[in-house]
Amino acid sequence: MKRNRLILAALLLAATAALPLRAQNPTDLRISEILVENTKGLTDDYGERNGWIEVFNNSNGTVRFAGCYLSDDPADLKKYHIPSTDRSTAVGPRQSVVFYAGGDASKGTYYTNFKLRRGTTVYLVSNDGRTVIDCLEIPANLEADKSVMKVPVGIKAMDFQVKENAVPTPGAYNGDVDAKTKSQIMKEKDPTGLVLVLISVSTVFLSLTILAFVFGWIGKTSQRMLDGGGKKKRRKAAGAPSPEVATAIAMALDQELGGETYAAIALALHQYLASACHDTETYRLTIRHAASGWNNKVLNFRQLPKK
Amino acid sequence: METIIDSLVQFWNFTGFANASWQNLVMILIGIIFITIAIWKEWEPLLLVPIGFGMIIGNIPMFPGLNIGIYEDGSVLNTLYQGVKQGWYPPLIFLGIGAMTDFSALISQPRLLLIGAAAQVGIFGAYLLALLLGFDPNQAGAIGIIGGADGPTAIFLSSQLAPDLMGAIAVSAYSYMALVPVIQRPIMLALTTKKERLIRMPAPRAVSQKEKIIFPVVGFLLTAFIVPSGLPLLGMLFFGNLLKESGVTRRLAETARGPLIDVVTTLIGLTVGASTQADKFLSATSIKIFGLGLLSFVIATTSGVLFVKFWNLFLKGNRKINPLIGNAGVSAVPDSARVSEVVGREFDPSNHLLMHAMGPNVAGVIGSAVAAGILLGFLG
Repeated sequence: MKRNRLILAALLLAATAALPLRAQNPTDLRISEILVENTKGLTDDYGERNGWIEVFNNSNGTVRFAGCYLSDDPADLKKYHIPSTDRSTAVGPRQSVVFYAGGDASKGTYYTNFKLRRGTTVYLVSNDGRTVIDCLEIPANLEADKSVMKVPVGIKAMDFQVKENAVPTPGAYNGDVDAKTKSQIMKEKDPTGLVLVLISVSTVFLSLTILAFVFGWIGKTSQRMLDGGGKKKRRKAAGAPSPEVATAIAMALDQELGGETYAAIALALHQYLASACHDTETYRLTIRHAASGWNNKVLNFRQLPKK
Repeated sequence: METIIDSLVQFWNFTGFANASWQNLVMILIGIIFITIAIWKEWEPLLLVPIGFGMIIGNIPMFPGLNIGIYEDGSVLNTLYQGVKQGWYPPLIFLGIGAMTDFSALISQPRLLLIGAAAQVGIFGAYLLALLLGFDPNQAGAIGIIGGADGPTAIFLSSQLAPDLMGAIAVSAYSYMALVPVIQRPIMLALTTKKERLIRMPAPRAVSQKEKIIFPVVGFLLTAFIVPSGLPLLGMLFFGNLLKESGVTRRLAETARGPLIDVVTTLIGLTVGASTQADKFLSATSIKIFGLGLLSFVIATTSGVLFVKFWNLFLKGNRKINPLIGNAGVSAVPDSARVSEVVGREFDPSNHLLMHAMGPNVAGVIGSAVAAGILLGFLG
């Protein structure tokens, strides 16, 4: 028994470890786009044009990134520290922020203390200063006013592929901006709705069939355990009315108490009578009469001392 | 004198009489009819009374800009309406349903789960019809879920897929749930022979407490892994049931199936009713939704009954199932199971189908939540 429990615990742990668990934290951030030479594009709050780094939140929750680092030097991952006290350092779900790489961090939180160079790699580092969350290599031949970007791919839009010399889209989603809703896609692909219906009905049947099989098996196992060895014998409810009478009583109660009570009583009575045993219902207290003699008149009389 | 008259005119302009339109009056009348039916006929009074009164509240003609309307940001009604709009009332109701539902009938005869699955065809039949009528797939999905005969699921799905149609969908779902005995009986009689109606089913076995505890955990894992998008409904349903059956969380279970579900039912009914403002509700679209809702109930009942008849072709002896419990595959608990019992007793007063019908009935609750999850996954 103990061994079985250990095996079960080990299996559960293994299953948990195998699951791709996700949480909304800085590890969901991605360096999604970089532009090095900016001659006619985005200007910062000071009206200047510099290279920039776009960081994208790849999760469906808001992520705070205060205390994290940006760097272009693998030997110095703590090159630019994003102020840990700045409360504005949060990025919404599937949104992005832009850091201006002008080399002057005194301008504000979103201004790095290093300038971007072609052929280097930019790192986004966790607030421990060691763990690299994401990086993006800047191609040596990146043209002026063109960016290197990561474009979401796949149905979940969680994976990316790198695209070089792309038209820059600072602060905007790098994927298809004209992305259609699922409903619009379904309208195009399945205008009659038959495919969806076929898949859906099959899935509903599959789910409930699996459930039926599993509980059929659990029920049989349970019955075998109950019947095995004759340890737990069913007892007959002596003098109990037939199931029909019981249901009739419940129907009568319906008039007084309403439908839910009727259904519950009928089911409970049926289970009690049909199986001839009371299952271990929660919150049920069975009171059996046992003579205590508390109301025996003789015991209430004053006992006169015997002479 | 002029000042007094001006003030009176200004006051008059503030009143409901000055701002009333015939549409408002129609909706108020419908609200009164709902309340009357609920009290007089006792059809789903716990839902129809709050919805009916909500309709009256939502259609009191008023001067705009007072920040009291349900669609005005920050108003009291708007704040209460967020539970519907954001879809967090329905999972709370499912928590209560889980904490009050005894799944024994289903656990003892798990094969009846398939009837619950068959009845969900109503949802997808209505989806196809809605597409034919020109609705977008997301709207069609939200309308189709009416066929699940499950108010909270209908509200949850429509709030996610088609919030603009939610009022009509919710009112339609609850109205037809109240009319389950009227809708289902003739279909059941039309589709079954007298011989089939007299089929007697063997009594189900007793269920151990261990099985009852295992059911919510295993049931949740299996269904949620297949349809993760149904997580809010399935999670709360099975969690509520675990609270009930575990035997060690009595207070939590009692709160979930008592005060909590009562509070949420009151608020959901009232705010859904209030959301049916005439200018947003009285339209040809709403009439189409009501028509499709009725058809979805008809298809669901038909498919449940026909599925049992088809299944019986492969069953022998006392394994045969009375097709009169096929209607109970829709998740209107326990109304549709009660219809099975009543119709069954009309033909054989000693043949009680209630306990058998409760199996597909609670399976319908699970099935409609799974179907909602699928639609949300495809169209959300």
